[in-house]
Amino acid sequence: MNNSELLEKLKPIVANYAHNKEAIDDITEHTDFINDLKINSANLVDVVLDIEEEFGIEIDNLSMEKMLTVSAAIEIIEGKLKEKNDR
Amino acid sequence: MIGNDIVDLLQADKDSNWKRKGYLDKIFTEEEQFLISSDMHPALMVWLLWSMKEAAYKINSRVTKLRTFAPIKLRCNNLIIRKCGATGNILYEDEMYFTSSAFNEDYVHTIAAITEKDLLLTDIKITEHTSNEYRSSNPASVSHHGRFLALAYI
Repeated sequence: MNNSELLEKLKPIVANYAHNKEAIDDITEHTDFINDLKINSANLVDVVLDIEEEFGIEIDNLSMEKMLTVSAAIEIIEGKLKEKNDR
Repeated sequence: MIGNDIVDLLQADKDSNWKRKGYLDKIFTEEEQFLISSDMHPALMVWLLWSMKEAAYKINSRVTKLRTFAPIKLRCNNLIIRKCGATGNILYEDEMYFTSSAFNEDYVHTIAAITEKDLLLTDIKITEHTSNEYRSSNPASVSHHGRFLALAYI
């Protein structure tokens, strides 16, 4: 999966919790979950759990700490998918 | 320095399903999960502990200028619960924060401070009015959730 495919899969997940729905259309790798999309921090956990389900991966606490932007999320998903495939 | 956090319980109930599988494990330590499962009002305990963590995180991120999402590392300690409020500490890395919380059927609100003295000196204003007029009053910490705006002054 390349970055733009990952982003397409990520979009509906974050859209579900974004209070700024308009920002979803302009989402890029630089988009910040809290500052731009206005996702409530309590819902960031849901984003993480949805990503785990969607991609069949487990996001450890250390990875979750960085999960504040689209680019960080993509990097983490890519890493975890690679780990999974290498196994 | 102080930080404050308000949780609109109606909004939280609408937005968050904390009973979702894996949810509590990502946010709360085993001890905190025990407090939740053994409380008569588990939902209130979820949002009380959450607001303590958020309030302390606001101070920490302002001091360190670092943003991170590590709720499980902010550990609630020495929690004493009264009828409509609670006090406690949040431990995070080498820091300790003092917290004071108030709750009713509509919201949970927590102030966190680096010293107990700051906690006593803090004035809190909670309103349902959410215009931007408050900015001129120069609050030390602002929290907005659902119907409520919480301003803390020191």
